[in-house]
Amino acid sequence: MGVNAATGDLVRAARDGDREAFGLLVERSWDRLVRLARSVLGDLEAEDAAQEGLVVAWSHLAGLADPERFDAWVSRIVFRRSLRRARRSRGRLSLEALPEPEHVPDVADRLGAWQVLSRLAPRQRAVLHLTVVEGMTDAEIAPLLGITPASVRSHRRRARESAARVLKGGRP
Amino acid sequence: MNGSDLNDDLARFEEDLRAWGSRPPRLPAAVAHQRVTARLPLAGAPLPWLRLAAAAALLVVLAVAVWRGSPRPAGQASTHAVLGAPALDPNVVVWVVDARTTVYFVLGPDGPAKGGVS
Repeated sequence: MGVNAATGDLVRAARDGDREAFGLLVERSWDRLVRLARSVLGDLEAEDAAQEGLVVAWSHLAGLADPERFDAWVSRIVFRRSLRRARRSRGRLSLEALPEPEHVPDVADRLGAWQVLSRLAPRQRAVLHLTVVEGMTDAEIAPLLGITPASVRSHRRRARESAARVLKGGRP
Repeated sequence: MNGSDLNDDLARFEEDLRAWGSRPPRLPAAVAHQRVTARLPLAGAPLPWLRLAAAAALLVVLAVAVWRGSPRPAGQASTHAVLGAPALDPNVVVWVVDARTTVYFVLGPDGPAKGGVS
């Protein structure tokens, strides 16, 4: 199975136990999944959450009805793993999950973004990330987070209201 | 801070968010490929709950086998031996005292002829 194989073919091969095929799926989705996990967890735990989600996805591949929809399916798994971790570490997240300076050329700006984001509810962070960073539509975001498009709009509206309050110096 | 300032701040925040959120991961995708595939359980390996269920079922089967195979008390075995003999009347109770002594009790209705309170 080559690197140019279609996603559906890789998923089918992975279902038959082809670990290399699954590795190619990991390679293709890695950046996107880490970015999603980072929007919920910050820098420190994002890559662990993405790896954990991918291992879970491997164990549940048989349950994926449509192999062509692997991307949304695996994103949902990583998102849920990230939510679970965020709940566990609630309260210490905003201070501990700061990016490491050597990876952040313009520290001040980027700390600002996470400082605001970390004050929002985890689902609001993810919706804002998928809208602003990934440029996805509500119809694309909804299946990925396992919510309706109307909920996506509601989370985004509340996220912006909360962000505005944080920027104004108040509580979210 | 007026509404226009707030909108500017929100726009700046979203611009920062775009820069912060689109950074590549520290771990390159090719390395992630190796790390994740190294962590994958073997294909076809049973799920943990399946293993637990199998272990529980095995325990039940073993417990039943041990219970059925355990020796009966001596008296019970003797009774079985007697019961293996020709069928007795349902009104007969057999008491096996030892290998040479067997006591038969024959049950019958009490009546005035056999004494009792009149």
